[in-house]
Amino acid sequence: MEEFFEGMAEILEIDVEKVVPDLNLSDYAWDSLAVVSTMALVDDVFNVMLDGQALAKCEKLSDILAAIELAKKA
Amino acid sequence: MKKYARLRAIEYYLPEEIVSNAALSSAFPDWMPEKILEKTGIIERHIAGVHETASDLAYHAAEKLFLEHGVDKDDIDFLIFCTQTPDHLLPTSACLIHEKLGLKKHCGALDIGLGCSGYVYGLSLAKAMIESGISKNVLFLTGDTYSKYMHPKDRSVRTLFGDAATASLIVSSDEVESKIGPFVFGTDGAGADNLIIPAGGSRLFPSTETAIEYTDSMGNVRSQNHLYMNGPEIMSFTLSSVPTVFKEILLRAGKTIDEIDHVVFHQANKFMLEALRKKIKIPHDKFIIELDTVGNTVSSTIPIAIARAKQKGQIHCGDNVLILGFGVGYSWGAAILESY
Repeated sequence: MEEFFEGMAEILEIDVEKVVPDLNLSDYAWDSLAVVSTMALVDDVFNVMLDGQALAKCEKLSDILAAIELAKKA
Repeated sequence: MKKYARLRAIEYYLPEEIVSNAALSSAFPDWMPEKILEKTGIIERHIAGVHETASDLAYHAAEKLFLEHGVDKDDIDFLIFCTQTPDHLLPTSACLIHEKLGLKKHCGALDIGLGCSGYVYGLSLAKAMIESGISKNVLFLTGDTYSKYMHPKDRSVRTLFGDAATASLIVSSDEVESKIGPFVFGTDGAGADNLIIPAGGSRLFPSTETAIEYTDSMGNVRSQNHLYMNGPEIMSFTLSSVPTVFKEILLRAGKTIDEIDHVVFHQANKFMLEALRKKIKIPHDKFIIELDTVGNTVSSTIPIAIARAKQKGQIHCGDNVLILGFGVGYSWGAAILESY
């Protein structure tokens, strides 16, 4: 999970301390490149592929975490 | 006596006009030039002039090949042109190039309509033509001008794609084994809508309706007459499929990664390449990334990467190179070849 948070910090260009479930993605650089980068990060760390459209609609980091849990079960 | 195909030379041609990150940044102010470079690995890309088509670029690449490698154009008995941006729906652009190059009339010419996977497919056709005894000297050209189909306000594609053309000469040789192959191919048309120019062909004629512009959720503007790429879907497809194709081609060749000197993937963008390299665990020193001053040139990316790596002294004559193209279609192909 730490690796994931560090990766997200890099993608959103913020300090890792700010990466918390309640984080509002649209406050940061949550663009198409961020979505694609997150897909690659999640694939690397959790070995699951998130759906890009669904990911783009995520509003908070907790939404992404929920999507990862769902993808793991699939 | 059985003839085998070998790749004898590659040359490429880039149109003169350059689009730098600074120029793109002025169109998309919230993306600084440094950020574009960091995210895409691209500093600049070349774009064709207003009256310059993919076939013009390919013509220049072919002339360069003839000049630099002492090729007698009368020896060419087959011309393949891989493009998705032909001069016309008909006639075949390869016929136009044939005429412009002044090749002999006893020479076949055809277009193949593939993108990112095109170089691998074209090589397989060239090999087949030669090893079946049909041809002796195949001129295989690639060329595209995606720039002509991108909307000026679509940053999802303008930052990535560049125009270019390449020319490869594949000849028949008396050597005792094939220097090109094996091959692995794949297709998944379910991904067709994720990299497409919707209007312009028979499925949807251009009209006032198809020209209507719309803005997507990321703020990119385009119409149905323009190139559309669904980045996330392409990423998903790439990360899911490419590792399997990589394993398959090695299996078919009976080789391990240790026996491969260089790996050249379709140079889609640096980010995707690094994600793939990491996932497949390809050693850094074998993995060629060559796109910073050309961008994604579609079917030209693999031959340009090989030619530049040769120029830089990274690839040597006789080296084993694994090439793998994947993308629009969806279409993919992989091969192992011995470098010229």
